[in-house]
Amino acid sequence: MPAGHGLRSRTRDLFSRPFRKKGYIPLTTYLRTYKIGDYVDIKVNGAVHKGMPHKFYHGRTGRVWNVTKRAVGVEVNKQVGNRIIRKRIHVRVEHLQPSRCTEEFRLRKKKNDSLKAEAKARGEVISTKRQPEGPKPGFMVEGAQLETVTPIPYDVVNDLKGGY
Amino acid sequence: MAFVKAQKTKAYFKRFQVKFKRRREGKTDYRARIRLINQDKNKYNTPKYRFVVRFSNKDIVAQIISASIAGDMVLAAAYSHELPQFGLEVGLTNYAAAYCTGLLLARRTLKKLEMDEEYEGNEEATGEDYSVEPAETRRPFRALLDVGLVRTTTGNRVFGALKGALDGGLDIPHSDKRFAGFSKDSKQLDAEVHRKYIYGGHVAAYMRMLMEDEPEKYQLHFSEYIKRGIEPDDMEELYKKVHAAIRADPTAKKSEKQPPKEHKRTVSLGLAGGLLGLNIGGWSANAARRPPPPPPEEKQDPNLSGVQAKVLASKKRKEAMKEFAAKQREKGKPINEPSEQQ
Repeated sequence: MPAGHGLRSRTRDLFSRPFRKKGYIPLTTYLRTYKIGDYVDIKVNGAVHKGMPHKFYHGRTGRVWNVTKRAVGVEVNKQVGNRIIRKRIHVRVEHLQPSRCTEEFRLRKKKNDSLKAEAKARGEVISTKRQPEGPKPGFMVEGAQLETVTPIPYDVVNDLKGGY
Repeated sequence: MAFVKAQKTKAYFKRFQVKFKRRREGKTDYRARIRLINQDKNKYNTPKYRFVVRFSNKDIVAQIISASIAGDMVLAAAYSHELPQFGLEVGLTNYAAAYCTGLLLARRTLKKLEMDEEYEGNEEATGEDYSVEPAETRRPFRALLDVGLVRTTTGNRVFGALKGALDGGLDIPHSDKRFAGFSKDSKQLDAEVHRKYIYGGHVAAYMRMLMEDEPEKYQLHFSEYIKRGIEPDDMEELYKKVHAAIRADPTAKKSEKQPPKEHKRTVSLGLAGGLLGLNIGGWSANAARRPPPPPPEEKQDPNLSGVQAKVLASKKRKEAMKEFAAKQREKGKPINEPSEQQ
């Protein structure tokens, strides 16, 4: 009999709970709130059977476009053939985690705002643009001993192995 | 002794998954907790309040709690050991006391939220099923009953507390099936019987019965009542007064007692160190932490194998334990963690 292609096919290990983490899931997953426009990571929790997304979406990150009583609508990009479609799925909160992909950006935004405000107070103009890492600066080499190396003349008699 | 096959092998421990801490302690029912706390996502940060009732052997705790990721936040709490302030000094864990505690909590929360004028609740406790009607300006305060691990039988004291809170003016979804006085056959709540329980009528009946049949047991069992001169016929009056006092001023009073300067289980480090005699510098006498094992001393005898050195060291530690315990006993001080190392 050939292998089927059902909804949860090939998910034996993907959807299984990790070692020694079976049973009731910790309650913070239920206490988190999601707003429209937030980024969320989809990570399927095999212990909760309702509102499970398809295995394709496991590990994807998307934006929230809808909030319902127990689930959240997530917009995920999927490549279909030669184009990328924005797919809208509904996922229960047990299969979601808030994404940290924009965390660095938001922190930087806050810091830049405060830096700009300070600079304005002082009357300076500063640039808060990120600069790429440039080449390493020059440095003096310390503790080097000079050793002069000269080539030795080629000695046909000794260097040629196996006779000539 | 015959060879016994070890039941709990190393493999057993390697695969063992511990339950949640509060489940191991037997204090929280997570199945119920998940269902009580789960708030609709489209209500975002609106708190969902639980009316928590817990009984200990000598006290009743009633709290209004909302859950958060940092930890549960208590909005208001009422304990039955506060009831002496309102005139009730005995019988602090019976059905009537539970009713008073629930009532006290309800009035306290409403006062805190400034809704106590609008929602008076049921002034006269009749034992009938009473639900708050929404007033014009604000909707009533809604909470969900959280019984914990109690078996919810008809006439349980948690439902006494529930009745108190309902009559106090809180909106708690309920049914009258579990109130004292509900009969399974007629499927109706007998309000008279429930009213008797609310005013301690069942306790009064027992008192009367004992007074007639077994006076010695009556003296023994109800000694505190007798000391305060409470007769079975006074019970209803007493509870009416308590309810009125609660409605008059439900605010919590801060206790005047000072917190103790030194926690009673902690022994100062100098005392413990001096008595021990051995140079075990890493020990702290804090009762909460098990002291770390003493650092291994240099091997006096290079011929001693590692195992034998450990055995010697453990023997030395046990001697030190015994000395310390004996000295503590001499001084009459409580023997605490360092000497009770398990």
